[in-house]
Amino acid sequence: MAGPLEQFEIKPLAELSVAGIDVSFTNSALWMVIAAVLVTGFMTLSMRRGALVPGRWQGAAEVMYEFVANMLKDNVGSAGRKYFPFVFTLFMFVLFGNLLGMIPHSFTFTSHIAVTFAMALVIFLGVTVIGFMRHGTHYLRMFFPEGAPLATAIILVPIEIISYFSRPFSLAIRLFANMTVGHIMLKVIGGFVGLIGILGVLPFAMLTGITVLEFGIAALQAYVYTILTCIYLHDAIHMH
Amino acid sequence: MPQFDIATFSEQIFWLFVIFAILYFLMSKIALPKVGEVLERRQKNIEDNLGKARALKDETDAAIAKYEAALAEARDAAQADIREASEKAAAEQAKKTDAMVKKLTKKTSEAEKAIADAKAEAMTGVAEAASEIAREATDKLIGVKVQAKTADKAVSAIVGE
Repeated sequence: MAGPLEQFEIKPLAELSVAGIDVSFTNSALWMVIAAVLVTGFMTLSMRRGALVPGRWQGAAEVMYEFVANMLKDNVGSAGRKYFPFVFTLFMFVLFGNLLGMIPHSFTFTSHIAVTFAMALVIFLGVTVIGFMRHGTHYLRMFFPEGAPLATAIILVPIEIISYFSRPFSLAIRLFANMTVGHIMLKVIGGFVGLIGILGVLPFAMLTGITVLEFGIAALQAYVYTILTCIYLHDAIHMH
Repeated sequence: MPQFDIATFSEQIFWLFVIFAILYFLMSKIALPKVGEVLERRQKNIEDNLGKARALKDETDAAIAKYEAALAEARDAAQADIREASEKAAAEQAKKTDAMVKKLTKKTSEAEKAIADAKAEAMTGVAEAASEIAREATDKLIGVKVQAKTADKAVSAIVGE
């Protein structure tokens, strides 16, 4: 019987290295490719006809488009339009990564801190660059809110700096932890089903409920990851 | 925990960047413009149809207004015609009545004059005859020859009373 952590193991499918760095094509990369292919297929094949009155698939693709577009518009405003392709790609990539992880024996690449943190770091650095490009050194006001008494600077500035720099960690850890814990829980409870004979119906019933919950979490965490990105973008563009 | 195996980080991050970049390219250059275009086209189509409907409604309203104006004009014209005709008829009637009244008045006055003439003639005749009878009667009765003038005077005195 496989341990609950075995599902997270990275297994190289093809050994590769560039300039001495290991870039082997792994099961993680394979599921990223699957996610990217499915997202692309979903967004292009469904829109192939571009019908005036959308069918089922086209309607679904349009719903995803408008969902992300509205999220960006509500949180960032019209200045966020040019970041729409990035935010949309991010949302779909994380959403499909989370949902594909629900398939038994698949691999959840969003359950790895390396992946979630690499994305969070890109978002963090990108947002910071956007902030300095739009506001110059005035962007440093982020660490000391307008109108606060000068004497409070000694407390406020360190707090603001810590909260700013903890953004990529909270973004990365939230997604990684949610995915990891959910999958461990499914595996552990799933293990009980076979172990305790007829009484196994109890953990099985629980497993059914948790599976539904995990699907909800898969969608919700993709949403949270994206909306936090939107909020950071809002801060960079409009400041507080 | 496999998540904290640093040896796997480079391969994960490398493929993440490669695949994310490809997906970003496919979304931004192919998929999203198509969706945006379809949504825009639909929006435009809806607005066009609304515009067309509004234009048609305006046209209908204009036609109704025109029809009502024409109807009012026709009604006014008809009423004017009726008024004119009735005025004309009344004027003609008045003229005819006037002429008839004049003619009748004239005839009446002529007739009255004729009656008065005849009466006066008759009266003179009667007075002459009366005075002559009176003279002859006095002559025969009392043998007095009365002057014609005196007799006439006496007769006219009696008739005049």
